[in-house]
Amino acid sequence: MFGSAIRNIIKSSQNAAKFEAICAQCRHIRANRSIQSEADTIKSIDVATKPNDKELEPAPEHSSAVALDFGSREAHVPSFNLAAYVNSSSTLQQLVSLGVDLHSIERRKGLGEFVLRLDFEKNIKPCLSFLADQGIAPDDFGKMVTKNPLLFKEDLDDLQTRVEYLKSKRFSDEARQRIFTQNPFWLMFSTKRVDRRLGYFQKEFRLSGHDLRLMATKEPNLITYNMEHLRKSVFTLREEMGFSARELQSLIVRKPRLMMIRPDDLVERFSYIHKDMGLPHSQIVQCAELLASREFRLRERHEFLKLLGRAQYDPQKDLYISPRTIVLGNNFYFVRNVAKSDLETFDLFLKTR
Amino acid sequence: MALTKVYDATTVFRHLNGVLNVYKPAGMKVGHVRSAVLSNICKGLNELKQRDPRRLPENRPLLGTGTAADSVLHNIATSTDLSDDVLSTGPRYMPEDIRCAAVASLGQHTSGVLLLGINKGLRQSSRIQKNRPVRVYHITGRMGTATENHLPDTHITARSNHKHVSAERISGLAASMQASHQRKMYELCGVDLQTQAAYELACKGLIRPADNSLPVIYGIKLIHFERPYFTLELHSINETQEYLAALVHDMALELRTVAHCSQLRCIRHSHFDVTDSLLRHGWHLPGIVKNLRQQREILREHPQMLEQERVELHA
Repeated sequence: MFGSAIRNIIKSSQNAAKFEAICAQCRHIRANRSIQSEADTIKSIDVATKPNDKELEPAPEHSSAVALDFGSREAHVPSFNLAAYVNSSSTLQQLVSLGVDLHSIERRKGLGEFVLRLDFEKNIKPCLSFLADQGIAPDDFGKMVTKNPLLFKEDLDDLQTRVEYLKSKRFSDEARQRIFTQNPFWLMFSTKRVDRRLGYFQKEFRLSGHDLRLMATKEPNLITYNMEHLRKSVFTLREEMGFSARELQSLIVRKPRLMMIRPDDLVERFSYIHKDMGLPHSQIVQCAELLASREFRLRERHEFLKLLGRAQYDPQKDLYISPRTIVLGNNFYFVRNVAKSDLETFDLFLKTR
Repeated sequence: MALTKVYDATTVFRHLNGVLNVYKPAGMKVGHVRSAVLSNICKGLNELKQRDPRRLPENRPLLGTGTAADSVLHNIATSTDLSDDVLSTGPRYMPEDIRCAAVASLGQHTSGVLLLGINKGLRQSSRIQKNRPVRVYHITGRMGTATENHLPDTHITARSNHKHVSAERISGLAASMQASHQRKMYELCGVDLQTQAAYELACKGLIRPADNSLPVIYGIKLIHFERPYFTLELHSINETQEYLAALVHDMALELRTVAHCSQLRCIRHSHFDVTDSLLRHGWHLPGIVKNLRQQREILREHPQMLEQERVELHA
């Protein structure tokens, strides 16, 4: 009797100690919650991510146990690159047979470890079959994964949503395939973010839906590019170079890549084309390739034509040379077909500069 | 020896030694030229036939799940070492694998002959450098405007009239500057000009400096005059771009006008001429290998570029 009573007392005291600890935690959590509710904007995001975190946290340990299918002793041997593990890991071997360049993956921070934790059957295969369902040729998988292995981290439902979003924006099948193969980072962006960016371009340049789709398909990297940089380039194109709204519209639909070039370089090229070559804005818009070509190339070709007396870019007059052909092709093509001269003369000319 | 076509990257790499003569464009730094040349070499080498991945050792302990469908076991059976595959180790040749150094540097605005020693050619290139060969420049000055650092890319600081400057006056000044520079050359030798030793030194002709601390000019000549531009041909050792630009500026001040240097072009470095140099569109592996061979011929014809015994100036 007495013993059991003591036991009960001890139990209850232990329980009380437990309860105390739990209560303290609860209080702590409540306090945290109250702080969150004050910062109400962050709260919704936090709540959404919390369960995810809980799910993710044990996952890497588990997957590492699966993915590193060599002995646990070898797993602790440090290595400088992924190549050390290729012979023992079937996942890495599968990636290599897909044509993934492990060397360029491991040079980027944290990606090597991420790839090592992947399991082919569990993480990679569903994603690849999803991509195959989108009509992407299996030959491109290697290139895509090399560019962005983090694609395997994304939830398949999210990816499906993003594809559906593009479908709803009436991107054709070919356009979507091109977008995903050219820029695997596109699928990492949430639909909200992509929508915001597409909206930015549409508003900024007053593009029609067709033109916007054309632009995004021509240069898919543009949509996921650094927004700060894009704003700077747009400012440069509009304010520093003085293209009108209509000219700007056709310029960027023709050559969306212009916005990804460093603004300083762009201004330098423009000033050479506009001032030294004497082309007006309207003609530059016609041949957007000129702005996409490096300045030294323009300079040596234009000056060679000037030396030959063939630098005549006015279509109204005789012996017109289209500015577009200047930047076309390699030096041999240029010298033979545009300058109608020979390569020795061109070489001699270049050596006087 | 019969000539055969080479498709093998290792063979090409083994023979990639010597001195390379590239035409450095103006506005490009030497380091930039160097990295462009090296990356083009590597690109070319990586496109050639590579060696196969290694084989695995025979008695390798089997790690893996042990099931028949296990691809690890399957791959071990084929016994190629996948860790040696190009995809996992990265490209076989990288720019860091090739040793390369410029014989003498050129400034950013200078164009023209730039000698690069590649791999075992580094020995030759450093010896050429120690011999202090003459470099020949064509320098174009533009009269009427002076700029901050005497080169065309900075702010204009002064303008002046240049109607009174004629070709005769420039060449007269060039001759007198050449004389005074040659006098300075003997003074730099450290001998008293009124001694027998100085006389014997002078009998040998022009002499070269022992170290690379001070620029020495051996000849200045006006070769072209077209107002407002004038072109000088200049032979010198240990010069820098800034020194040459300042020289043009000082000459113009002597001529009672101002000028800046609109173009600097190195047309010859010892026996390495601008006609043999490799232009930017030729910076690919076949062009580079061909150029290395040409420069090797030149070095063979003029062995004194590597072994210089005498103090007096030859070529």
